[in-house]
Amino acid sequence: MISIEGLAKHFGPVRAVDGLSFTARPGMVTGFLGPNGAGKTTTLRMLLGLVKPTAGRALINGRPYAMLERPAVEVGAALEATGFHPGRSARDHLRISCAASGIPESRVPEVLELTGLTGDADRRVAGYSLGMRQRLSLANAVLGEPKVLILDEPANGLDPAGVHWLRSLLRGLAEAGCTILVSSHVLPEVEQTADHVVIVARGRLVRDAPLAELIGTGGELRVRTRRAAELAVALENAGGQVRREDDRLLVTGLEPEEVGKAALHVEAVLTELVQERSGLEKIFLELTMAELSAHAGAPGAPGVPDGTPRPDETDRPEEAAAVPGQEDRT
Amino acid sequence: MIRLIGAELLKIRSTRMWLGMLALSLGFSLMSVAVYIAFAGMEVNGEQGIGPVTDPDTVRALYASSSAGVLFMMILGIMGITGEYRHQTITGTFLLTPRRGRLLVAKLISYFLFGAAFGLATVLVTAVVAVIALAIRGGSTNPLDHDVPLILGGAVLAMALYSLVGLGLGALIRNQIAAIIVAVGWVQLVEGIITVALPEVGQWLPAGAVRAVTLTSSAFGGSGTLDTLPAWGGALLLLAYGLAFAAIAMVTTVRRDIT
Repeated sequence: MISIEGLAKHFGPVRAVDGLSFTARPGMVTGFLGPNGAGKTTTLRMLLGLVKPTAGRALINGRPYAMLERPAVEVGAALEATGFHPGRSARDHLRISCAASGIPESRVPEVLELTGLTGDADRRVAGYSLGMRQRLSLANAVLGEPKVLILDEPANGLDPAGVHWLRSLLRGLAEAGCTILVSSHVLPEVEQTADHVVIVARGRLVRDAPLAELIGTGGELRVRTRRAAELAVALENAGGQVRREDDRLLVTGLEPEEVGKAALHVEAVLTELVQERSGLEKIFLELTMAELSAHAGAPGAPGVPDGTPRPDETDRPEEAAAVPGQEDRT
Repeated sequence: MIRLIGAELLKIRSTRMWLGMLALSLGFSLMSVAVYIAFAGMEVNGEQGIGPVTDPDTVRALYASSSAGVLFMMILGIMGITGEYRHQTITGTFLLTPRRGRLLVAKLISYFLFGAAFGLATVLVTAVVAVIALAIRGGSTNPLDHDVPLILGGAVLAMALYSLVGLGLGALIRNQIAAIIVAVGWVQLVEGIITVALPEVGQWLPAGAVRAVTLTSSAFGGSGTLDTLPAWGGALLLLAYGLAFAAIAMVTTVRRDIT
């Protein structure tokens, strides 16, 4: 159980985290979502006792991190920008963690196997790819078999197979009753892993809700048919909002089943029926766009068309526009 | 605490940095021995620089050479903490040990132990070479004469304490390059000048403390005219330097946010 209570961190005039409160409960994956510079990393670092909060507190199982006697067996953390000494092997990094936390060294080969690093365990970390470092971070996090996991952008640098592996690992741990808090600015990753979503922007809480609830509301469906005009009328009659682009309809306010029924009714053959954007994606995009225009000083900042930018495309300009020092990503 | 010390010792052993520092420390000591042996009893412009090998002072200076590489123990200590900041392993370290004071104490003890082990290795090698060199040059080869055991013990202690001083200094400065520049500049330049120009101040500096524990009271080894503390005073002084730097670091830089 992780509880964030009125947490705040100010760096000079910048309010990186501004009165944030939420909880992450056992048995589920809580996605901690927000555009870059939203204060995610700072929040996690305060939770882990690395950064001192300006106000509020962050507790793990009811206690501040620094009060934990052997933190590695209670909380596993993999933070971005956690370094490894380039001259040290993965195995030695893990052995040091074992030694410092009183974890038996027999865990080392186990976590190496789990993260697929066995073959490279004795190589110096200097030669590791980003994905391998990420795996080593994860290996280190689960070393003490903790019941609480805090992961900062764990999928960064992982290949698709790695992302899939990570997802099933997290799902399995959550089902085993672990509390898992995963930060991310990559939406599909969170949509596919999280049970509960906490969205922050500019250090403040925007949403704190079950994933199902966020996905269910305000999504957009893309429908394609030759009889677009007839179907559009039928959909509007069924209570949907429809935008038409040639033979393509963008529908909000209706479930796929209702669209299908309407199509059946007007005998329109559907060649496509796709959940174009979930409610979560919509909220997230609105946030990133708002952030973008706030930083760039103009709505619809360059490089981001007004239509339907994919979230991963909006990342780049967002990064460039982030206020220095607002979130540390070095 | 024992767990933490074990982890710190493993950290030192698991990279190759210590090998370099040991090699440098040994190299400096042996070079110093070579210089004493080569120039012992030689007259320069009619004046004798270093006494002949039969002179107890020369014998003492020869053995005291084993502390010639203390600077590298200081650098070892500096790298022990600044390396964590440089490679960002400090994040993981503080995650494992969120009580930072404990970590610093574990590091101080570990580096003292490691410095002592290095000191022992350097002293043994230097002493063996010195005995052989003295035998060849016809000097006293009894390593129990002329306070030699005291000098060698002092050299081990000086090495151990210097790595402590380095650790404290590194914790305070945090930037590896800056800390090493400060250490080298201090040891090679500032201390030398102060020792010669203001010996009454010089005896209170780390270099003065090393002279004290290796029973040396001249800038060139052996007994001379420099003000020097008693051996126990030198040991306490070095310990005080290490702990003082660490204490200042603890209340200033070590508490800072790790971002």
